[in-house]
Amino acid sequence: MALLDIKNLTLEIDGTNGWIKALDKINLTIDSGEIRALVGESGSGKSLIVRAISGALPSNWRITADRMTWKNIDLLSMNDEERRKIMRNEIAVVFQNPLKSLDPSATLEEQLLESIPGNLLDKGYFWQRAQQRRVIAAKLLHKVGIKDHKRCLKSYPHQVPDDICQKFMIATALAPNPELIIADDPTRGMEITTKAQILRLLTRLNKTKDLSILFVGHDLLAISSMATSMTVLYCGQTVESGPMDKVRKRPLHPYTKALLDSAPSFRKDLPPKSPLSSLEGTIPSLQHLPIGCRLGPRCPRAQKECVKAPEPRRIHQHYYSCHFPLHREKR
Amino acid sequence: MSPLLSVEDVSFTHIVENGWFQRPRKFVLSPVTFELNAGETMAIIGENGSGKSILAKLLVGAETPTSGAIYLNGQKLKYNNIKQRCLNIRMVFQHSNESLNPGITLGTILDEPLKLNTQLSPEERQEKVEQTLRLVGMLPEHQYFYRHMLSDGQKQRIAIARALILNPQIIVADEPFAALDPSVRSQTVNLIMKLQRDLGLGFIFISHNLGIVRHISDRILVMQEGNVVESGKTDVIFNWPKSEYTEKLVQSHQAMLSKN
Repeated sequence: MALLDIKNLTLEIDGTNGWIKALDKINLTIDSGEIRALVGESGSGKSLIVRAISGALPSNWRITADRMTWKNIDLLSMNDEERRKIMRNEIAVVFQNPLKSLDPSATLEEQLLESIPGNLLDKGYFWQRAQQRRVIAAKLLHKVGIKDHKRCLKSYPHQVPDDICQKFMIATALAPNPELIIADDPTRGMEITTKAQILRLLTRLNKTKDLSILFVGHDLLAISSMATSMTVLYCGQTVESGPMDKVRKRPLHPYTKALLDSAPSFRKDLPPKSPLSSLEGTIPSLQHLPIGCRLGPRCPRAQKECVKAPEPRRIHQHYYSCHFPLHREKR
Repeated sequence: MSPLLSVEDVSFTHIVENGWFQRPRKFVLSPVTFELNAGETMAIIGENGSGKSILAKLLVGAETPTSGAIYLNGQKLKYNNIKQRCLNIRMVFQHSNESLNPGITLGTILDEPLKLNTQLSPEERQEKVEQTLRLVGMLPEHQYFYRHMLSDGQKQRIAIARALILNPQIIVADEPFAALDPSVRSQTVNLIMKLQRDLGLGFIFISHNLGIVRHISDRILVMQEGNVVESGKTDVIFNWPKSEYTEKLVQSHQAMLSKN
């Protein structure tokens, strides 16, 4: 059963020249027990999707979807209280910038204790509750690999290093035992051994507790080592999605191929110091979006038809939207 | 032939006073020795807080080492002679966005080091700015742009242009690729490799991305808690790591690769 099912999610922002489609017909499903990676460059709308799911969007943005359900309950028609309840107990979000999303004026202890829901404490007298919370907090911190939990809990967000802060965010997200954890670039700026540790932790939670994970980021190496399926996003459009091994072995969309080729780690045959393949140019800004397929101006295979947005097509579980996918001959 | 840059026993001690009654915190960078030839790339890898950035700052002269000496082409760099150093060793900062002044045009940003360090006339400076912009793959018109008008990749290019404008022999970069997206990152990597081939630059960079380190560096310096754990050729370090820490790093990199 799909836990989270999103079909044709469109998000429009009021720009100076009319409404801009920041997200254009996004499809995304997360099954229970799945690790899905959401890959895209910055400015491709990854974080907007996260915010749309968590309901943290400004009210003057227009959000429409054919379907946006959490366990078959519609998220969009829900009132704020019900939405909050789901966000509190069932979905946890690790936001991108830990320093900005933590409260700078409260110690980490206060913030972590706050995120432990009351139903996790076993029945005891009320004076025992605080102690129980503290024990749980220490356990959580050990779980994410913070050894010196006393010192960490005493400090304010600005006093701890970035990677500890990031781990702390993961600990707060894990506190209510969620069913889905949305991790928005959780390993950014981490050194490789710490990164491996966090990835192992998430994979273990996925295996033992059947936790579903939506892993958002552009670190392909980390993603390919843990994710079971992957959705590639470009400029607010879903470009390709499918099982991880299929997408990696045989990308069908030119953008996915460019993305995979740009990581030197994946290419063992590449001689050292040889130039890496990369697409020309950079991702367009929201004010200057091309019509049709948004990769158009940068795409090596672009032709006349690309000014119309391609419909998603599929081969088994592998969805792609391109007029001239890589498995067909170039005309 | 003497190496381009040789660093001999450079060490650094930094003490933070923590109030009257607490013990002061101490950071010690134990003596570092290495050599870099022209056209070579050296990568510094290690944990956060292991002294990588301090080492980079020592090289460009932003911090003064407690002991030891740095030689450029066999000539000792003096700590009061900033001009000699900044003509030859330039730095690219981690956050290209924050390191560019938002209030002035890119032309002015690039003009500043020329004004301060050279005796060129305004026309010559103008020409140099345009030439450097073209070198990093941008247009001369970009000199009238401001920071906010550029994309991430272009900002990184400007940061590199600012480092290149004085024709340095060595560029030191603190995590130049970390904040960049994959496609922009490979563009920047290509740019740096091309410049290095054309100009024979020595390039020292700090990175967490072992894939890129393996791809572009000739030599690696592994640091942990202020000590140099290991240093040597990239091949050797990746295939036969000697110390436990390096082994752990390489293994976790390999583990991520082999899982798929």
